[in-house]
Formats: sequence, structure tokens, C-alpha cells
Amino acid sequence: MASALPADPALPPVDARPVDGFDPVAAYRTMVLIRTYEERILQARTEREVIGPVHPYIGQEAVAVGVCAALEPRDHLVSHYRGHGHALARGVDPDALTAELFGRADGLCGGKAAALVSDPATHLLLSSGIVGAGIPVAAGAAMTSQVKGDGAVAVVFFGEGALGAGVVHETLTLAVVQRLPLILVCENNGYQGATRTEEVYPETSVARIAEAHRMPVHRVDGNDTLAVHAAATAAVAAARAGQGPSFIEASTYLTRFHLQFDRPSGEHRPAEERADWLARDPLGRLRQHLLAAGTAPAVLDALDTDAEQRVDAAITFARTSPWPAPEAALTNLWAATP
Amino acid sequence: MNELAVLDLILEQELDRNPDVVFLATSTPPSWRARFGAGRVRTCPISEPAMVGAALGAAMTGLRPVVDLNRASFAFLVMDQLVNHAARIHYLSDGAYRAPMVLTSATRGPQQLGPQNEQCPYGVFMQTPGVRVAVPGSATDACALLRTALRDEQGPVLLFIAPGLADHCDLRAALAAEPQPFGVARRIRGGDAATVLAIGSAVRAAEQAAADLAAEGVLVDLLDPRTLVPFDTAAVAESVLRTGRLVLVDDGPRSGAPAQILSGLLDVPGLAEALGGRIAHVSAPEVPIPSSPVLEAQFWATPERVVAAVRRLTTPS
Ligand SMILES: Cc1ncc(C[n+]2csc(CCOP(=O)(O)OP(=O)(O)O)c2C)c(N)n1
Repeated sequence: MASALPADPALPPVDARPVDGFDPVAAYRTMVLIRTYEERILQARTEREVIGPVHPYIGQEAVAVGVCAALEPRDHLVSHYRGHGHALARGVDPDALTAELFGRADGLCGGKAAALVSDPATHLLLSSGIVGAGIPVAAGAAMTSQVKGDGAVAVVFFGEGALGAGVVHETLTLAVVQRLPLILVCENNGYQGATRTEEVYPETSVARIAEAHRMPVHRVDGNDTLAVHAAATAAVAAARAGQGPSFIEASTYLTRFHLQFDRPSGEHRPAEERADWLARDPLGRLRQHLLAAGTAPAVLDALDTDAEQRVDAAITFARTSPWPAPEAALTNLWAATP
Repeated sequence: MNELAVLDLILEQELDRNPDVVFLATSTPPSWRARFGAGRVRTCPISEPAMVGAALGAAMTGLRPVVDLNRASFAFLVMDQLVNHAARIHYLSDGAYRAPMVLTSATRGPQQLGPQNEQCPYGVFMQTPGVRVAVPGSATDACALLRTALRDEQGPVLLFIAPGLADHCDLRAALAAEPQPFGVARRIRGGDAATVLAIGSAVRAAEQAAADLAAEGVLVDLLDPRTLVPFDTAAVAESVLRTGRLVLVDDGPRSGAPAQILSGLLDVPGLAEALGGRIAHVSAPEVPIPSSPVLEAQFWATPERVVAAVRRLTTPS
């Protein structure tokens, strides 16, 4: 597996300079929050405080943060089972998110959803547990913006495994032809569960697949927050300008494993491959960038401490939140008439 | 790879036994690929409709495909290939083609997978003529029915496995299980007080309930149909005509398998009269399965709920 982004002469390089308005320190703060959060959630799963499976996002934080920093509050988002990072990057309340993962009454979805959360406050529409299924839903949100002319865009995150699903290709065709303001963010981590993508795809540059659908593509190093942000900013601008959808292929890596139930997964990845990616850890890279740009180390250390405190508070909140009332299981099957 | 690891052992034996058996899944054991080759053990992209459609074509042309759908909720993704095509081909070709293929998937366990991925959708497939639906109540029966599904020729089989079966697996008995004909219910306990018909993961709770009732001197006839299509109407009707009371127990919704089983039984001459309204259901509420364990607690057919249902029917009012 390539540890560096393979050259692709068919595509022009993306301009990776930071875009105006991007605050790398704020990005670092969110990335540290996500990392700290994920580590604690894995531990809380081992202790059986978290219910259901945990799909960690550790190693991919630059993608969520780079993309979400390019969005405005009016924009819509669709995530999936590996969605804590997307949720936190989007500004979902960590207390309510954690209470949801703990199955408690104060959870974002009242304990019904566990990791598959929705949050209207941040326009997080859905975190689908069905691979690929969220992509047409995001296209529909983009359709709303197009019809209402409100200038919002829709963003959907997915793994490269989703490109196996027919509905994803069908949506690409529809979105391009209808010029939907849709941004597809493919987090290409080389694996689909236990299966390596090269075993099941004829083409591991999923960018080429999107190009075949005539969709403009940005290929970026998904461990480089600034590069991700630059690509997302360009894609959002194009969508807002009525130029239609774009596809971002962010090459990245899960440095732990695919999923954890009661115990950490016993999954094995080639040691050399993992070491290569750890050396390119997105947090370390952004930290280096900030230090080189003159940020005082103490500023960053303080953000690390803040993140720990914030996560502690969220865990305490979740632990002390009551269990839902049993009757709540039967509520909200139907929406009330407005 | 399978929730019920012993099924993998059976499948491996069947791959060994019949060179026409091929296995399709998004994740396959490397040892199988080494042993049987990548031609017969196929790791596929996450494309369930493609896998099931390809399985149909392969089945029609001489192979015996097994597709592991992983979760039962993914069966909803393959409705077109499975229902409109695989389940119809023998009929619409007036018997010219067959589609002997097997789809395996996991139903519900207390795994907190939530509204999308904890489901018992077998009732839906009882409404799609042309597929056979097996929902074993024990690991041993799961193994026996998998063998049958792989060996007979009649058409597509859906095998729904409750993850909880793994907790009570008698490995030796499961591995030794001989093929078991479809459409034969298993009588777990005999009695005249009431007929308790339990499905899949609810069988275990019903067994406990029957034991608790027996300790009080109430002996119920406890039956596990094992397959829902075909359904052993004769055995269940014999029991109901004798006891005059029926409790249907399932971890899925009442509107699914229980409703369809009941309506089928009511067609048996004299059965509606024998029951005289003494029918009870123990099933999940008609809402999706929530994640929080305290919410989900109400969605299980517990022994207490089964005991209460039997008492309701047997206590004179
Ligand atoms: C339709 C469907 N099939 C199978 C699964 C089981 N499953 C969950 S995650 C996963 C792998 C997905 O890989 P990828 O899309 O590359 O994303 P990653 O997990 O690597 O982030 C699979 C097969 C599913 N959730 N949905």
C-alpha cells in the first residue's frame, strides 16, 4: 500500500495554500478534541459504558476538520457509522453526543440512535449505518438549496467502500447532470473493514471513478488539514456558484482498527504500513506547521489540556444523565401534525 | 465472519464436499481462499445487489452460491434481485430454470446496533413467494438447515441467524447435525395447557418459560417451526386443536411472522373454533429497535412475558 500519495498526471495539482479566513489554531483545537474524544470513547467502550459498536476516526481527523472549516452554518451534512469526528468538527455538542453513545436520556437522539446520530442544530441530517446510503440523501439536501436558492451546499462523508454500491454511482450521474450543490468527501483509507480495497476494486484511485462520471475531482493528502481545507473551499465555492458537485478524494488511514465492540479489535495491519502513516499523523503535522509558523508551544499545550477537560466533562455529563423512560421507545415513530 | 462461528465450519465442510459451492461476501477467511481458491471464495465490493444478482446467474447456470449478507437489514438492499428475479425465475420459466442459492444474515442480538441494523425482517420474506425462509431456534438446527439449503435444489433460501444462538451453542451437536428437512417443526416440550410457538432467538426464552410453568404443574406444548416457509402447519395445528390455546413468541414484530402464521392456522378447519379467541402474542412493539439497552429491554420476548401470556390464557376469568 502506498504511503505517499501516488502521482496522477491526469489531474492538476490542488493549490494547498491556506485559504483566507482559515484559522489553523482553531483547526488544531478541534482535531485535538476529536482525538482525545475518540481515545476516551474506545476506553469507555471497553468499560461497557458506551453501547453498541465504536468505529474510531483516529488518524482521519484532518479530513473532517479541513472540510467543516470550509462550511457555513446553513450548509447540510451527512455522515455515517464512523461519524464522531464529523459531528465534533461540525460543532455538535460533545455532552449530548456522549450521552447518546451511553444510551442516556440526554443523548442527542434520546438514546435511540447510539452512534448513528442526527442533529438539526448543526444541520447534521443523518449518520447512516448502511454503506453508501447517505449519498443520495445528501443529494436531496442539495436539491433543496437549489430549489430554494438559499446558497447552501450539502456535504457527504463516506469511505471508499461506498463506491462499491450502485446507488452511489447512480447519484453521481444525477448530481452532475442536475448540477447539484453537493460535495462528496471520500475518505480513502485503503480498507473496507478487513478487506483491502485493492482486492476488490480495479482502480484504487477512486478519483478516476468520479471523473468517469464527469465529476470535477480534487485529490488531496487527507492527513494535511490545510490541503483538505483548500480543496473543500474550492468545492464549496464552485457549488455555491451554481457549477454543480465536486468530489474530494482524501487519502488517509485509520491508525487503530475498523471497529470495537466490548474489546479492542484484534485486527492486524502490516506494521510498516502503520508506522509510515503514524509518521504522517495529521495532528503532528498540523502542530509542526503551527510551530514553524511561530505559534508558541504553550498555546498548543493549553489546547491539549482544554480538550481533555472538555472530554472529561462530556463523560461526566453522560454518566450522570438518567436512563430514558421506557415509554420513550414508542415515541416519535410519526411526526405530529404541525 | 459469521455471528455463529460454527456455521463457518459447516460451510467449509460443504465447500469441501461439493465443488459447485461458491461463497460471496465482503470479507472472506484467508484460509478458505488458500484452500478453495479465489474462484470459489470471492471477496466482493460492498455491493449486495451485485452479489445477489450474480449469485442468481451462477445458480441458474450450475453453481451453488452462498452469499453472506452480514446483517439482515442489508437484505432490504437486494429486494429487486432477490424478490423480482431469484424468487420468480423457476415460476416464470415454468420450471425451466432453478435458482439454488443461499443467503445468510444475522437478525437481532443485544448488540445495540439500533434502528437500522437490529431487525427481524423474516416476516417480509414470508410474503414473497419463491423464497424459503429458515429461522432456526438453536445452533444445531442452524447447522442442519444450512446443510439442507446447500444440498437441495428447490430455490433460494434465506437463513436468518440470531446472534444469541452463539451463546448457547452445543458445538459438538452442531457440528454433527445432519441435514434436516425444511417444514418440520421441533417439539421441545409436550403438554396440553397451551401451545407455545416460538421463533428464532425467542425459542430460548420460551424454553425457560415452559420450564418455569412446568415447575408449577402447567405443561405447555412448546414448538419451534425452524422454517417459516415452508411451515409445518400440520404439527402446529395438531397441537392447537388439542390445547385450544396459542401463544406466538417472536423477537420481531407481531405484524411479521406471527401474524402470517396465525392467519395460515386459522384456515385449518375447526382451528378457529378450537381456539375460541384464546390467542396471545409476545413480540416486539411495532416501532424500530432503539439503541439504548433500557429502551430495547421491552423488545425482547422474555420468559416472564411468555409465562404471563400463558397464564392469561389458562386462568379462567
Ligand atoms: C450496505 C452495507 N453493507 C455492509 C455493511 C457492513 N460494513 C460496515 S462498515 C464496512 C466497511 C466500509 O468501508 P469504507 O466504506 O471504505 O469505510 P471505512 O469503514 O474504511 O471508513 C462494511 C462492509 C454496511 N454497513 N452496509
